[in-house]
Formats: sequence, C-alpha cells, structure tokens
Amino acid sequence: MTPTLVPLATHSQIARTPSGEDGLPQELEEDLRAFGCKLIHQAGILLNQKQVAVATAQILFQRFWFVTSLKQFSIGDISMGALYLASKLEECPIRMRDLINVYDLLLQRNSHELSLHSSPPPSSPSHRPQPTHVPGHNLVMASPAAPAPSPSNGKTKFKYTPMAYFSDAFYNLKDALVVAEMQILKRLGFNMLVVLPYGTLINYLRLLGLTNHKEACGKAWGYLNDALQTPVYTIYAVPTIVSAAILLATRHLGISLPSTPPNSWWDLFDASWEDVWTVCGHIMRLYRDRTLEERLEVMRMVNKKEVRKWLEENNSL
Amino acid sequence: MSTVAEGTSAPSRKRTKWDEEDHENEAIRRRQQALSRQLRSLRKPRMTDVTSVPKGTSLSRSPIRDAYSIFVPPRAHHPPIQPSRSVYCYERLNQIEEGSYGVVFRARDKETGDIVALKKLKLEEEKHGFPITALREINALMSCRHENVVHIREVVVGDTLTQVFVVMDFIEHDLKTLLTLMPAPFLQSEIKTLMLQLLSAVAHCHANWILHRDLKTSNLLMNNRGTIKVADFGLARRYGDPIGVGGLTQLVVTLWYRAPEILLGATNYSTAVDMWSVGCIFAELLLKEPLFQAKGEIELLSMIFKLLGPPTSATWPDYCTLPLAKTIAISPPHAHQFRQRFPHMTALGLDLLTSLLTYDPQQRISAEEALHHPYFSESPLPKHPDLFASFPSAAAGEKRKKPFDSPSAPLRAADRIFAETELP
Ligand SMILES: Nc1ncnc2c1ncn2[C@@H]1O[C@H](COP(=O)(O)OP(=O)(O)OP(=O)(O)O)[C@@H](O)[C@H]1O
Ligand SMILES: [Mg+2]
Repeated sequence: MTPTLVPLATHSQIARTPSGEDGLPQELEEDLRAFGCKLIHQAGILLNQKQVAVATAQILFQRFWFVTSLKQFSIGDISMGALYLASKLEECPIRMRDLINVYDLLLQRNSHELSLHSSPPPSSPSHRPQPTHVPGHNLVMASPAAPAPSPSNGKTKFKYTPMAYFSDAFYNLKDALVVAEMQILKRLGFNMLVVLPYGTLINYLRLLGLTNHKEACGKAWGYLNDALQTPVYTIYAVPTIVSAAILLATRHLGISLPSTPPNSWWDLFDASWEDVWTVCGHIMRLYRDRTLEERLEVMRMVNKKEVRKWLEENNSL
Repeated sequence: MSTVAEGTSAPSRKRTKWDEEDHENEAIRRRQQALSRQLRSLRKPRMTDVTSVPKGTSLSRSPIRDAYSIFVPPRAHHPPIQPSRSVYCYERLNQIEEGSYGVVFRARDKETGDIVALKKLKLEEEKHGFPITALREINALMSCRHENVVHIREVVVGDTLTQVFVVMDFIEHDLKTLLTLMPAPFLQSEIKTLMLQLLSAVAHCHANWILHRDLKTSNLLMNNRGTIKVADFGLARRYGDPIGVGGLTQLVVTLWYRAPEILLGATNYSTAVDMWSVGCIFAELLLKEPLFQAKGEIELLSMIFKLLGPPTSATWPDYCTLPLAKTIAISPPHAHQFRQRFPHMTALGLDLLTSLLTYDPQQRISAEEALHHPYFSESPLPKHPDLFASFPSAAAGEKRKKPFDSPSAPLRAADRIFAETELP
C-alpha cells in the first residue's frame, strides 16, 4: 500500500511566502504563525478536544499561510476556523458556540495582557531585541486606558466577561468562523489530507531499541508536538520530522546511535541529514528568548489590522 | 498482526490506527540488520550544540535517492498546496442526473478540452458551517485514489460560498443502467473481471480506513474499456476512529444492499457491511436484476432469511445481542436456497457468493481474501477488460439503441456482448 501523499509547500512557496512578499520579515511571520498554533493548542485544551484534531488544525493553519498573506486574514480567525474544520475531519466535531466562547475568552485575555503593557506604539521595528528595554517595568501604567495594577502582584487579574447569548460579538465571531473555514477549504483546494507523526514515532523508537527509554520517548514526543507550532509538517514528510525529534531527544540525553555514513540511523528512515537538521533548526528557534516587546508585538498582531499597521509603519522606511 | 500479513479471516476485527505504521517494517527490516551491526560497535556520535542549528529552511534537493524505499516517496511526488480554481474553468454541457445528494453535470475543461463530471455539493444547510458529509466525501475520494475508484481531479468553487463542485473523470456508464439495457446477463468471464475490479477497489478503501457504506450498482461506473470505477462516496466514513456517542448511524446503504447487522440495529459495524453489499452486487450481476427487491426492512429481512436460512447460534453467534433481534420473529429453520436461486453457478462461484452473503460479520469474507478466492482462477478465466463491448452512454446524452433493434442493423463491436451466448 502506498502511503497517503499529503500536500507540501513547493520550493518557491517556501522561499517567497505571501506575507514575505508583503514585506513581513521571516522571523516575525514564523512567530505569528507559531502564536496562531498556540491559540489552537490552548483552545483545544479548554474544549477538551482530542490531540489529533488539534494537531490536524495546526497543520492546516500552517499550510494556509503558504497561499495567503497575514495581512489578508487574522491569525485569530484562521486558527479558530482550522480547529473547527479539523474537528470535523477527525470525527470529533465541536459546537460552534463552544468554540466561539473559548476564542472570545482567549482573545479577551490577549487584549487584557496587552492593555497591562500598553505603551505608545513603537515607531521603529521592534521585532529585534531592543537593548534599552527593561522587560516588565514601567510599561504597565503608560496608558490611561490600562486598568490599575492590583497591589499584590503589580498586575490586574484577568476577569473574563462572557458574551451575551445573542450579542453582536457572538455573531461577529460566528461570521468570521464560517468565512475562515470556507477560506481554508478553498485556499487549500479542499485537500485536507494530513498524516500525523505519532504512529511513525512509536515505530521508529521500536526499531532503534529506544521504547524502554522512557525519557527519550517522552522528549521525542514533546519535540514532535512542539514542531506543530512550526511549518515543518507542511514542508517535510513525516519520516524526516520524526527523525529530527529523535535526533534532538537523543542528543539532549547523550544517547549514542550510529551516525557515520553510510550507516547513519536516519538513513534507515529515508531522511536526509540536511533536511533533518533543518527541521531541528525550526524546532529550536521556538525556544529562542523573545523580549517582552517582541512578545507583545506578536500578541497585538493576532488581528490583521495590526499586521497592516505594522507593514505601513515599517515598510515606508 | 495486520489482517493482511496473517491472511486471517477477521474482516470486521477492529483495527486500530496504530497498526498502520507496520507496513513500513517490511522495507525497514532489510536495512535493520546493517543497523544492529552498527549498534553493536557503537561510536559516540558527534554532539552538536543545539543552539547552532541552521537558520531558515533549506530543502535537500538530492534528485536521485535510488536506495530509498517505496514507502517514503520523493518530495516531488507530493501534491503542492494549491487553491481551488473557479468552476468557470469548465464549460457546462448536459446535466447527467440529480442524485439525492447533489446534481451531476457533464462539462468540458476549457483549457485541456477534457470531458469531466462535475458534482455540485448541496450546501444549503449551513448551520454547522461546511457539512461534515461533504468533507467525508471529498476526503474519501482524495485518500482512496485507485484504478477502480473514480478519479477526483480537483474541487472547484463558484461565486458564492454555497457553490462547491467535485470534478471527476467522466465515466460513460453506470452499472445499473447498463444491466437494465443489456438483453442478456454478463458472461461469467466478464463478471469475474468486474468482481475483481470491485474487490480491489473495496480492499483499497478498507486499507485506507474508509468505509464506502453505499455500494450498489448505480454507484458503480463503467467506462468503455471494461473498467469499473467505484463512485459516490457521499456516505463514506473513516473507521478505526473512536466512535462517538450513539455509534455509527444506521441510515446508511440503500435498503436492498444493506447488511443484516445494520437492519438489526448494530451501531458498531465495520468493513463487513461493504462486503455484504458486494455480495448483493455479485448476485445482481448474475441475475441481471437486484437480489433483494424489498419494499421495507422487515420484508428485506424475511427475504434474507429465506435465501440464507434463518440465523442460528452457529451461523451468527452474536445475533441475540443486536438491539432489534428480540423484535424479529424467526421462521423455523430451513436450509439455504442459494443453489435453487443460482442453478448455473459453479460450486466455487457459489462458495464466494455465500462467503459474502454470510450473516456473521466476523465470518464474512474480507475484500482482500475474496480477491484470492479460487473462483477467479477456475475456467472461464476473467476476460481482459479490452475485450468488453462498449455501449452508447446514457450519461453523455448519446442516442441509445433500443435493446431489440431491427435485426438487419449491422452488428457493431458494441453489440458483440449481446450476441455472445453463455454456456452454463
Ligand atoms: N464521474 C462520473 N461520470 C459520469 N457520471 C457520473 C459520475 N459521477 C456520478 N455520475 C452519475 O451521477 C449519478 C449520481 O452521482 P452520485 O451517485 O455521486 O450522486 P448522489 O447524489 O450521491 O446519488 P445518490 O444518492 O442518488 O446515489 C450517478 O449514478 C451517475 O449516473
Ligand atoms: Mg449515487
């Protein structure tokens, strides 16, 4: 039986993403896409949704940005649409209203955190580390709109106000959800085939004799899940990604595996060293330290209006 | 452990999705020896500083990886990420048929001139966004690509959100229309060919975790080259997924082709329901008319009981556990009547038929097993598809010859099939 061939981004799609063409730096795009995947992950937890649906949603979400610019659709809307769609694909559909409520909460929390740190909008590209910046200080009270910090922890506790049952907010989110789902379908040509890596990981760990090494298994599993926040599942076939997760896990734990050509263990799984190593790069970049300002910038840009604003401010230079 | 590897007969055994990866073992085993040799003479691998990982994405472009297994095809074999085209890329010709689920048109690709079939999906009910049934249909077609499954070319969209069309290869005939038009039944050799094609399509779907759930002659298309294409995945569903609350729906499979376990209320049915339908299709090919032409479920059950003999604890151990079993009155036991119904069938042919039309889903033959049934290797052997006659296509709007045309009409190649006589 031939394996299902999932769609993968082409060389030119990878080299020139629509957002990149619009002037968004690659690192910022990666961070925004990762943020959308985190939203999917958090929504999945709040909805008690199955991991297969969450993973599928994250992969569809990543695919979407190879055919669409972040300026055109919001990360918030598309991540919500991806989770809704993936839940149907994985035969565990969720109720629209539940999903919308959860997203409303996540987005309110996002705005709340932003408001705690709101400051005059930066006029220079702030995605690069700013040496003068002191994380978490002096930003809290900068805007009069920001709620006063509570004396205990210096921050206002986030309090979620649920939407009214027939509120405009609900219907706005509902419209956005329906549009997002349809846009994902259309822009991905209705090819929703996804292959998840977990079965392959178990198989490879068995073949490498690592199944009894609990720590290695757990670590590799964790890297695979973290990789869902990167575009690697839309660029490489599963064997390459699983090999990368095993490579990171075994190196981290100092486990030795045959790594000298022509008998390197990844060759056994038809993965090329170059590709495996690049996947490792994608995963490791997730763990790079971000400054507070970088993080806030990404949180603000959950909305496409902020992406457009950023592009106007930074590309006129 | 997989049913295929062992060749055991447990068609409806619940497979789990984890089984799937084992096909890779086959290819890996060969190279595993080299690895274990290496593992014994372990060297410390070079430890790399994980912070010095590469920036950006570079794809290895190594074009020739001859040593690589067929299980990991080269990257170039994967389809690209590609948005849907517009339905206006096609010129509409004639409407083929309005099904229960959508309208099917014949159309021409304006770019290539190819003749295709466009199935418009019904999307009116938008309370839950894009309908899950339409997703299943598209996904099943895309994940079950096979010589005997109708080929999905793409999915195109119209102006509004409710216009979505599945584009398929246009296939001239459906088997139901064909059977009603033919004056004589298919030959044994032809039936074997058709059954092998049907079985290999069904085996492929099942191997890819798809249940068709609506196999019947009107959903089997046939081209002029004697090739069957399974179509209409409108009721298809993945199996092997944990089944949600309430189980699988019983509102599947057109009545006449519906397996007894569904009729009796089972909600955890599996691949065997398709195999029952295959059995009904096999019988229909032999009889040239549907096997169980019942008006309702009760009548259907009594027709099944009549042909197979009523179920017993031996032929269907789980019968009593089915939800509706208590409500059905079972007639006094009698032997099956396959021989009376199919007097000209060989013993092997009858064996295949009864293996398909078996009560107990656990004992019912699987598609993979049926493909290797000795019926297919006894005389007459399956006829090469090229030797099948061709017919005027009703779907293409071609003028059809009346079944009994004037005897002076020239005997076209297309009519050969009518002229051949069958030896019992
Ligand atoms: N690829 C095709 N080429 C030619 N004709 C086709 C094709 N696909 C479908 N048809 C014709 O259209 C009819 C209906 O198609 P299909 O079975 O897919 O739709 P449906 O609405 O699900 O039908 P139903 O529910 O009535 O079975 C088929 O019986 C066949 O006659
Ligand atoms: Mg049909």
